[in-house]
Amino acid sequence: MRRILRLLLLAVLLTPVAFTQAGAQLYQTPGPASPTSKEQVPLYTPQTDQLIGRVSIPDARSAVLIQPEGREWRSFRSHTLKLVVGGLALGMVVVLALFYLYRGKIRISAGWSGRQVLRFNGLDRFAHWTTAVSFLTMALTGVVLTFGRTLLIPLIGHPAFTSLAETSKSIHNFVSVPFIVGLLLIVALWARDNIPNRADWVWLKCMGGLMSRNGHHPDAGRFNAGQKGVFWTVVLGGAAMAVTGYWLMVPFTGVGIGGMQILHVIHGLLAALLIAAIIGHIYIGTVGMEGAFDAMGSGEVDENWAIEHHRSWYEEQRRKGYVEDRQPAE
Amino acid sequence: MLVKRSSGKAPRGSLLRALSGDFNGAGNLESGVSRRGFLRRSGLAAGGIAAIGALPAAMIRRSEAGPVLPDVELVTRKNVCTHCSVGCTVIAEVQNGVWVGQEPGWESPINQGTHCAKGASVRELTKGTRRVKYPLKLVDGEWKRLSWDQAIEEIGTRLLEIRQASGPDAVFWLGSAKFSNEGAYLYRKLAAFWGTNNVDHQARICHSTTVAGVANTWGYGAMTNSYNDIQNSKALLIVGGNPAEAHPVSLQHMLRGKEHNRAPFIVIDPRFTRTAAHATEYVRIRPGTDIPIAWGLLWHIFENGWEDKEYIRQRVYGMDEIRAEVRKWTPEEVERVTGVPGSQVRRVAEAIARNKPSTVIWCMGITQHTVGTANVRALSILQLALGNIGVEGGGANIYRGHCNVQGATDFGLDVTTLPAYYGLAEGAWKHFGRVWDVDYDYLKGRFGSKDLMEAKGIPTTRWFDAVLARPDQIDQPSPLRAMVCFGHGGNTVTRMPEMIKGLEKLSLLVIADPHPTTFAAIKERRDGTYILPTCTQFETDGSRTCSNRSMQWGEKVVEPIFESKDDYTIMYLLARKLGFADEMFKHITVEETRPVPEDILREMNRGCLAIGATGQSPERLKMHMKHQADFDKITMRATSGPCAGDYYGLPWPCWGHPEIRHPGSAILYDTSKSVMDGGGGFRARFGVERNGVSLLADGSYPKGSEIEDGYPEFTMAVLRKLGWDKDLTPEEMRVVEAVGGGKTDEVSWQTDLSMGIIRVALKHGCVPYGNAKARAVAWSLPDPVPVHREPIYSPRPDLVKAYPAIEDRRDFRLVQLARSLQFKAAESDLRGKFPMVLTSGRLVEYEGGGEETRSNPWLAELQQSMFAEINRKDAERLGIRDGSWIWVHGPENAGRAKVRALVTDRVGTGTVFMPFHFSGQWQGDSLRRNYPPDTDPIVLGEPVNGVTTYGYDPVTFMQETKVTLCRVEPA
Amino acid sequence: MARMKFLCDAERCIECNACVTACKNEHEVPWGINRRRVVTLDDGVPGERSISMACMHCNDPPCAAVCPVDCFIQTADGVVLHSKDLCIGCGYCFYACPFGAPQYPQTTNFGSRGKMDKCTFCAGGPEADGSVEEYQKYGSNRLAEGKLPLCAEMCSTRALMAGDGEVLADIYQERSARRGYGSGAAGWSVAYGQHDRGSPFAPGGPSTGGA
Repeated sequence: MRRILRLLLLAVLLTPVAFTQAGAQLYQTPGPASPTSKEQVPLYTPQTDQLIGRVSIPDARSAVLIQPEGREWRSFRSHTLKLVVGGLALGMVVVLALFYLYRGKIRISAGWSGRQVLRFNGLDRFAHWTTAVSFLTMALTGVVLTFGRTLLIPLIGHPAFTSLAETSKSIHNFVSVPFIVGLLLIVALWARDNIPNRADWVWLKCMGGLMSRNGHHPDAGRFNAGQKGVFWTVVLGGAAMAVTGYWLMVPFTGVGIGGMQILHVIHGLLAALLIAAIIGHIYIGTVGMEGAFDAMGSGEVDENWAIEHHRSWYEEQRRKGYVEDRQPAE
Repeated sequence: MLVKRSSGKAPRGSLLRALSGDFNGAGNLESGVSRRGFLRRSGLAAGGIAAIGALPAAMIRRSEAGPVLPDVELVTRKNVCTHCSVGCTVIAEVQNGVWVGQEPGWESPINQGTHCAKGASVRELTKGTRRVKYPLKLVDGEWKRLSWDQAIEEIGTRLLEIRQASGPDAVFWLGSAKFSNEGAYLYRKLAAFWGTNNVDHQARICHSTTVAGVANTWGYGAMTNSYNDIQNSKALLIVGGNPAEAHPVSLQHMLRGKEHNRAPFIVIDPRFTRTAAHATEYVRIRPGTDIPIAWGLLWHIFENGWEDKEYIRQRVYGMDEIRAEVRKWTPEEVERVTGVPGSQVRRVAEAIARNKPSTVIWCMGITQHTVGTANVRALSILQLALGNIGVEGGGANIYRGHCNVQGATDFGLDVTTLPAYYGLAEGAWKHFGRVWDVDYDYLKGRFGSKDLMEAKGIPTTRWFDAVLARPDQIDQPSPLRAMVCFGHGGNTVTRMPEMIKGLEKLSLLVIADPHPTTFAAIKERRDGTYILPTCTQFETDGSRTCSNRSMQWGEKVVEPIFESKDDYTIMYLLARKLGFADEMFKHITVEETRPVPEDILREMNRGCLAIGATGQSPERLKMHMKHQADFDKITMRATSGPCAGDYYGLPWPCWGHPEIRHPGSAILYDTSKSVMDGGGGFRARFGVERNGVSLLADGSYPKGSEIEDGYPEFTMAVLRKLGWDKDLTPEEMRVVEAVGGGKTDEVSWQTDLSMGIIRVALKHGCVPYGNAKARAVAWSLPDPVPVHREPIYSPRPDLVKAYPAIEDRRDFRLVQLARSLQFKAAESDLRGKFPMVLTSGRLVEYEGGGEETRSNPWLAELQQSMFAEINRKDAERLGIRDGSWIWVHGPENAGRAKVRALVTDRVGTGTVFMPFHFSGQWQGDSLRRNYPPDTDPIVLGEPVNGVTTYGYDPVTFMQETKVTLCRVEPA
Repeated sequence: MARMKFLCDAERCIECNACVTACKNEHEVPWGINRRRVVTLDDGVPGERSISMACMHCNDPPCAAVCPVDCFIQTADGVVLHSKDLCIGCGYCFYACPFGAPQYPQTTNFGSRGKMDKCTFCAGGPEADGSVEEYQKYGSNRLAEGKLPLCAEMCSTRALMAGDGEVLADIYQERSARRGYGSGAAGWSVAYGQHDRGSPFAPGGPSTGGA
């Protein structure tokens, strides 16, 4: 890359400078290094720097004669991005599959109690699903734009894919609005409960009990460290995605082409990260764990599930009287 | 990736030419993009050859690309670019009367297919979204639409009223360098029939000082060589010119000269221009010190004996007086005045003296000064000292401005002369009386008096002074009351704040122009303005003269768009209303209301003997345009075809009747050629002797001359003395006698309408105008030997006493202030309040006042705002950022302009440069709403002339635009 | 088969902008779209050079590599074209292009730039040669008529050249040898690769300047 950059030429200028200045001359006599036959004339001279000059049109972009960074961006867009997004997503799937094979579905060790505890109310669920659906939509449309040329064009042909890509692009842009709304809501609703505390350390130390087949889970409040991780990943990552995304939608605002390339790279890498994280999140919320989906499904979870995974929170709910006292089993 | 297969369509035309052997390998490599060369080597050509082999010729046709409609006839027409004086051929493709495509004019020896930004965008002119669409009249600040009949009727009536009340001299007829030759001639004739010499055009503010300076040195006021000939130069000295922006296509020839001959390319200019970027040596001088630099160069030349002594002995008068003046300009004094180090001046002097032939190129950086004529003379003398005039590769290559400013000057749009520089004396009027077939007494009767008939008129630089003048300040019966302005921007003269006062006071203003011009947008004027929509030269036909004196015939591309009419028609309509159309168009066919330009040219051929504008018949000019390919690209001489032997465009002088086939003169005063080959000596224009010294050439004569020495201009008396009068035919003799009216001996080559005297002179290898010495000392000028004079608003008050301006004087019917004003400025410490020097110039995208080009979106996009160039250090000191708004204040009339800062090293510290093409904003306000609806140019900006100041050349009243003082402040 | 190329000789370019307006004229390019532009480097100081720049029709075009909808086409002559029917205006080609060639009708509209537009080497687009549809989308197709791009044909000083790369390289090298100096062909190695043509060149190698 370095070498290519060095060869990124551009005309000019060292030579003519020497020529004009030393060339304050009486006669235009060729110097000792001057070519005497056309074979000696190099077609281009190397230039390492980006070349910015002056143009009369009031458009600073057009004053950039050559931007070598395009090459790096091209290689990111053509290779790195695909590898990172695809690699992380597939890697996550593979890891989850292995995990599933090892651990199987995490059951409620005490079995279903039949008693429900309200975990997320309507607003909570609305916030979650708004964020979730818009995220998935954007992820999917983004993936279409990233991989469609390789995967879809051979299948559906150019015109159909253009329609798809164009639609994807619009959707990708406009769905960002509900995503932001969802993001703001979950921050407002859940940020307080996602502040890390000492218990998270314990939870992390035993990896949340995910690896123990005996059904022992460390104690956790409303959200355990894993959920907090997802929360902050989504909130911070999502915010960064939003910032870079919107910035890219107003091209050349405050940044030049180089800045936009950097924004795009950040956007792409974060997307890869988020997609992988969300795949994990979806797994654990659905097939990975018995009773977990209900939290965002009906909003009510089985009491035993709550006790096993969020004992502190369950206790608190009970203290507050949100949970009916249990009838003694005996 | 998809692959589109090449359609393999047969390349038309160009390939056929290539196949027919019209292919010049080296030339093609040189011209670079020749598609012939390219196609020959490329696969396309191979495919094409195969295709041609297989297809009947009829199938090789243009593909129906673009807006070109299929199955509609496509006509190709040839015209000439209407912007600068290079004279680039424009090829127009027309369909259904619409100009749909522009192609390179490969065959033109001048531009060889190329264009600059302006030339490449001329097609837009006939789309004309911003053009004036119908006649308009300003009534109480509102534009009202009129019919043509109504407009001509009202204008004519008011003109006649003014004539009745104040005499014919109360009307100022401002013509245009955008006219064709025929238009320019007709306009001069119109003014003559109206009865005034107040008829002028842009040459006044462009190269009037060149014409005066050069004509007073060697006889004719024109570029001596040609753009093409610069390819023969061994050194190029460009002073006060920026052809890379003003005449871009000329750089093609200049750079070839530079590269092929490895010629030093020296640029002397206050500003590091786009031309300077290609220089091998750039010399930055203080604005307004051109004579010191010229004398500084000559000092070294004389000191080292580099001058051409034999040439001077044979062909130059008065060089010793120049030596005396030059002796004062030691390297130290030159450095003190110009700021150029002595070593650099010596290096430049040696470069141009040792690499001969060397050419000197100048433009408005030389001419637009209070010492314009003297500047021109100094450079001319420099070339004479080096023996570079009348030599291939040498010469004074003076780049004229507008597309036909040379022709309009030649054909008399000038306050000092009738067409072809005959002057205004009785003899001149009588000559044109004969040419026009009207009585001298009739013409005299049209004027206020015989004195006024023979007095220089009011120049365009001062017209507003003549409006505002008190009767005792003006040498004519009445101040100006009306102005009829054809094709002339309103922002082109200095001192605009006063110009606006003059404009306000005019009772009638008529603007005939494709665009409304600045005149229409001045808010102070609310009544009595008429706008007549006039078409461009692409919508009519006629000839135009490029800077190198070649005449090119432009073919009408499309009919005048909207309701516009061509210049000829409008002049005829006015003449008819004013009551002299019958006399004026006695020998010119008028079709309906349109005089036929070919007929006008024929009348010009009959009468313009003095510059040899007689051989350029419309038929010959059209033939040249048709057979452009036959002309050599350097010598400009046709090597084959029906024009064989002719120089392209028959550059004047092209002697005698078209039938004698004089080839034109590509290089003036060239003694290495016979006269019938375009050779000649210097013109015997200033007598035969002065102070006992002969003014005739000494032992130098054009090749093949029967008189092997100098001789005076030919008259009947001279012919008789030589015994050559017997060569005149009886018919010629009859005409000579008729012209002479009893004084046959006084009939000269200039007045002999039979052209017999010319024919006989040529027959004997002699130039009709004589063979004399050039004048290093021009005793008829205010400064016979050019001397340095500081500008009126000099940035060096300390030098004013030593180099004072010329004394206040009276000329051109007006008062001219100079020294009094200069001393006042120097004494009042104006420099303290206005510490920077303001100079002005041109941009490549725009032309002249800029209304036309600023209305063209393709050009306007490239320069969207008026700016001032300021040096980086000055900007830092003043706290000005690149692109920010600034005020530029001038020392007169509280002149100021709000423009954008362009911070650059192009200008030196203490210098501010502003382009002069902008208008439509005034001291911070937009005048957009004052333009008639839909005619406002896309880009508006402050005119630099809102800031420029007083200062006029004493010989021609050329304005000073290149040096004044200013102050810059952040806005 | 010829490979079509542009070459701008900086020793000749005078920033007259003929190439820019010729392009506007030939294709009726609207305001704000600059298929070609002239950039001046080291403005106002000795050594100043101007270079005319547009799409260089690279051998290995980055625009085509990054286009998500694969709308680029390389003709048999090496001209890089694109299909406005397929283009979704995403702007990726502008990110990747070393020369700033791709242009968009709108640049700041929320999410939409419109269809990309760029220099076509006067070779139209994927539509039938010389069709009205082709003209409306891409401008005229001179190549199909056996003509070269108008910008180069009209260049005032023959600085900008267009045509078969082999021929151009010859012309440029012969020209430089004749005048004794050259400042390199702008954009050549970026667009066409260092081995594409020409003499061997080692970085920091022989100076090409005359003294």
